[in-house]
Amino acid sequence: MSQREGNKVDLQSHSSASSFPHLEAKIRQTHSLARLLTSYAEQLLQEYVQHQGDPFGLPSFSPPGLPVPGLNSPAPTRSGLPTLERLQLDAAALNSLSPLLDTICHLQADLNPFACRLLRRLEDASHQSRALGSAVEVVLGVLGAAPGPPGPHPILPESPGVFLVKLLGYRVCGLYHEWVCCTEGDLDQLMQEGLG
Amino acid sequence: MLRAPGGGLRQGAALPAARTMLALALLAFGALRAGAGSYLAVIVPQDPTLLIGSSLHATCSVSVSSGDAPTAEGLYWTLNGRRLAPELSQVLNATTLGLALANLNGSKQQSGDNLVCHARDGSILAGSCLYVGLPPEKPVNISCWSKNMKDLTCRWFPGTQGETFLHTNYTLKYKLRWYGQDNTCQEYHTVGPYSCHIPKDLALFTPYEIWVEATNRLGSARSEVVTLDILDVVTTDPPPDVHVSRVGGLEDQLSVHWNSPPALKDFLFQAKYQIRYRVEDSVEWKVVDDVSNQTSCRLAGLKPGTVYFVQVRCNPFGIYGSKKAGIWSEWSHPTAASTPRSERQGSSGACEPRGEPSSMPVRRELKQFLGWLKKHSYCPNLSFRLYDQWRAWMQKSHKTRNQDEGLLSSGRRSAARGPSRR
Repeated sequence: MSQREGNKVDLQSHSSASSFPHLEAKIRQTHSLARLLTSYAEQLLQEYVQHQGDPFGLPSFSPPGLPVPGLNSPAPTRSGLPTLERLQLDAAALNSLSPLLDTICHLQADLNPFACRLLRRLEDASHQSRALGSAVEVVLGVLGAAPGPPGPHPILPESPGVFLVKLLGYRVCGLYHEWVCCTEGDLDQLMQEGLG
Repeated sequence: MLRAPGGGLRQGAALPAARTMLALALLAFGALRAGAGSYLAVIVPQDPTLLIGSSLHATCSVSVSSGDAPTAEGLYWTLNGRRLAPELSQVLNATTLGLALANLNGSKQQSGDNLVCHARDGSILAGSCLYVGLPPEKPVNISCWSKNMKDLTCRWFPGTQGETFLHTNYTLKYKLRWYGQDNTCQEYHTVGPYSCHIPKDLALFTPYEIWVEATNRLGSARSEVVTLDILDVVTTDPPPDVHVSRVGGLEDQLSVHWNSPPALKDFLFQAKYQIRYRVEDSVEWKVVDDVSNQTSCRLAGLKPGTVYFVQVRCNPFGIYGSKKAGIWSEWSHPTAASTPRSERQGSSGACEPRGEPSSMPVRRELKQFLGWLKKHSYCPNLSFRLYDQWRAWMQKSHKTRNQDEGLLSSGRRSAARGPSRR
């Protein structure tokens, strides 16, 4: 038995007979939300690079792994973790992303004041990230898994160069996409394990 | 197994605090951490602003902190993703690559052109955004209008050159002419990119001074001051309740009725109206001017059996005694109606306000005749209405006569042919 199989979530044991359908519906709903936001996150990234100018939109663009204080990319080793633990990481990351996206929105409002659609997408992404994080926490709560501790509140450096601002926004939009994809995958896994 | 609360996140989430501060410091100095390497680079100048046609000298300096840091020999530049010709670069020392660009073009995007310093393998070491453009020109052609005396919207043009290639901020300011402080308009882009809306707290009977200030990274400019009284630039809503209907059986006329715009209902003593109409499948409008201060009009000389679209607009001329021309409202929503069918063709249209003579010579003469008859008490009840009824009766009789003649003609023809064969 693999580590993952040994950590399968038994949803029925976490809910009464009357609340199991509710739990199932909640998980499906959250999974649908994650799938929708994955699509939105892709669109956000495309919209973002268009407004920064080349080389941001080029296929050859290979930016450095700019560190974002308080948040990293999903680690490759997370696949060995239990599903619920991965969902804890997802929720914490999504909650951390919300203020980051908000900050990027403000920075872009200075850089690209007429990019209305980009600014709207960033604002929406900030709200949606928090919404998905909360929804995952609700699922975790019902399953008896407490949410992880909140990450440090991201602080932007004072007066970074404009190119760094562009890179930072690219990194944050990329992180948002990565974590939403992970969340979708982990919820999918949860459904397969727990709902058969 | 579930992680207990407070156990923290195991992987892939939070950096230790010390590394977080280092990352912030690195970001603050405009440097980049390239992948897993520990070398940095800095471009000078950072985010310069330049006039179109000017030159730029820049340097990319690699900070060496490990043995395998790149040297200046392997570095190269790109501008907006395009690699710059090697002859534009110069190795200044072991760790610094210089760049000389001449005759710069305007920035490709308002967020700045991306000047990037790359290592030999193409990885990004540092970046700087160039802002190349022009200072703003004096904004011109400020025009303003007030909707129902409640607000003020102004529009302007950015100057003859237009494109500055830089983000240019426009601020519309206004003040009462002889006293008061400068006020700044807050609601921009209401009717296009160069416009602003002042929603309230405007004085009447006192002139305002209005101007626009343009600012960008290369300078600022101010428009001429426009002085206006709100009452001289009033417009209003389109006339509501526009109805178009047939005039009895008259196949070349339609009657148009509307109401005066309610917001200025009590002030429109001298208002003017204008009507335009077109045939259903045409884009060419015919305009009827000088409908003066009335809320109905008759369109004449129309084509029979044709659908017409009609619109009306209002000019609140003379409001509160203003002597200025006033500003036309938008056109009302199109209202459609069709003229009765006939075999006769209509000629070009004109508006015949009810009870008013048209410009056609026949009707002018008829009016004079009717007037003479009334005066001499021969026919006191004669009027144009009676005349129109007579016309409608004449047309009906003409149709009936034609149908009868048609029947008679076919009867004669069949009689000439003889009894039908069975």
